[in-house]
Amino acid sequence: MHNEFTYTSLNEKVIGSLYKPGLRYWFFVALAFLCLAVGMTSWGYQIAVGMGVSGDNHPVMWGTYLINFVFWVGIAHSGTLISAILYLFGAPWRNPLARAAEAMTVFAVLTAGLFPLIHLGRVWLVYWILPYPNQRDLWPNFQSPLVFDVIAISTYLTVSLLFWYTGLVPDLANVRDRSEGMRRKIFGFFSLGWTGTDREWVHHGWAYLLFAAFATPLVISVHSVVSWDFSLGVSPGWHSTIFAPYFVAGAIHSGLAMVLTLLIPLRFIYGFENILTMRIFENVAKTIIFTGIIMAYSYLTEYFIAWYSGNTYERFIFAWRAIGAYTVQFWIMIIFNAVIPFLFYFKKIRTNLITLFSISILINIGMWCERFVIILSTPAREFDPYSWGLFKGPSPIEYGIMLGSFGMFFFFFLLFAKFLPSMAISELKEELPLPRRGREGEQNRK
Amino acid sequence: MKFFRKKTETGPRIIGIFEYVDDLLGAIGSVRKKGIGIDTVYSPMRIDEIGEALGARPSPVRFFALVGAITGIAIGFGLSIYTVVQWRFLVSGKPIVPLVPFIIVGFEFCILFGVLFTLLGLFLLTRLPRFRIPSYYDPRFSQDRFGLVVECPEDQKEDIANMLKLAGAESVHDGTA
Repeated sequence: MHNEFTYTSLNEKVIGSLYKPGLRYWFFVALAFLCLAVGMTSWGYQIAVGMGVSGDNHPVMWGTYLINFVFWVGIAHSGTLISAILYLFGAPWRNPLARAAEAMTVFAVLTAGLFPLIHLGRVWLVYWILPYPNQRDLWPNFQSPLVFDVIAISTYLTVSLLFWYTGLVPDLANVRDRSEGMRRKIFGFFSLGWTGTDREWVHHGWAYLLFAAFATPLVISVHSVVSWDFSLGVSPGWHSTIFAPYFVAGAIHSGLAMVLTLLIPLRFIYGFENILTMRIFENVAKTIIFTGIIMAYSYLTEYFIAWYSGNTYERFIFAWRAIGAYTVQFWIMIIFNAVIPFLFYFKKIRTNLITLFSISILINIGMWCERFVIILSTPAREFDPYSWGLFKGPSPIEYGIMLGSFGMFFFFFLLFAKFLPSMAISELKEELPLPRRGREGEQNRK
Repeated sequence: MKFFRKKTETGPRIIGIFEYVDDLLGAIGSVRKKGIGIDTVYSPMRIDEIGEALGARPSPVRFFALVGAITGIAIGFGLSIYTVVQWRFLVSGKPIVPLVPFIIVGFEFCILFGVLFTLLGLFLLTRLPRFRIPSYYDPRFSQDRFGLVVECPEDQKEDIANMLKLAGAESVHDGTA
């Protein structure tokens, strides 16, 4: 963040973004809502008619629903990760990104959490899968990664939401103090009567630090648990110990790309050029190079181990991924995730908003294709050729629901950017020089 | 610094409003040297120097986090073990109570309850949510000003007000509610 800000000008800049958005904003809100409506209609149709309309069939039963679930869980990762890990390490470029990235996490987990419900078919019986001793004689298998998943994702949603909200409270009080009428009442209610006393800051600081300390291992555990949904199955292409770190790195890779996808337009729309500086985007791009290296290493390791193991089935599935029915998605995955990110080695590319934004979109497409390849290839070509089959979709209903998931995510994010401070004001103020009577603080005078 | 305060927002008080943090720290030092009680210091963001000037100790919210984390581990293992002994199915030739997979459940519950208890501790220690904001609270405290609220007997009000002004307070006023 640039240091020419004063406390007052920073306040005005961020809180000013809560007022009077232009027509362009409402156009995007309407577009996102339209996509959401398409998704809701598609899901409603599937509930009314039955799961057959999804087109998912034996042997590739999961279809795009699980691809989207893993994709959105992955997107959810970087928000809390950026906020928590960078907070623990005291990285100065964290603060301008943190609030929007945390919001991204919350909305992405909410979106991800819908897909298991969508794929259930009879969604009203969802409580049957909750793991608790029950009178219905349903047996919750606590050795199953799917049960781990229910616990991990719901914990992640709760923790991410509380982490986000706790950081937001001082800023909600700030908005309350600059508002009148109904807006003041609403912000007054959600700011919980925060006044910024010394005690509040001391306890809040410690609680926030502890939240970050709890959230960091949680982030790593959640996508590890998601990876075990596959790797605990004894199937070629899945049954590998590399899956947990590979999935976690992939999640961070896609999450960082989504941070760029969201924040570059946000910077443009609200004129946050002096807060979301090019140096911050450059740091995100450098981190993407790092995660890109891990992705490339993971892809190579998978192939090496498949060859080195001498296992016929492993060798076959990995060869089939590269030259079989899903070859297009496979090569998109390789090129977009493990080759294109290295363009960020060039300073000109990582300091240009258009190339940053374009590459972030390509990485997201690449990560979606990665999930496609992992999730759909193994059930299509398991041990017995008699049970082989291909994924025939996506069907129109699957396309509708996929579009709806993107609509829901962007709809929530747009509402967040309009109704809540999208930058952590109190944390950004900590970056400014303290107002002192001496020369040191002169620049921060009103 | 006291962590648990009595509800005494009605006694006589003097409020000093400061523009500069070094003036505020000087005023805190002078007030403490005189042995006068400081009720509250308001600031728009967290400033460690204020805590140090007031002699703040690390927050006990840590202990809430620890108790929550231990409780979570107990609940995670407890729920898994209690559930499996209801059915006593043999899964993959593993013991009826296989502890290794239950570590994952215990870990997730450890995090969940650690965070929930931390939040509870934060609410208890800060007395949030608060439904009434003190009448002497100035909205500028959340923007760019610092506030020092000093408890003082009626007969010392003038002396303390002068002391705050001398320390650099932008304005001083009576905050008796």
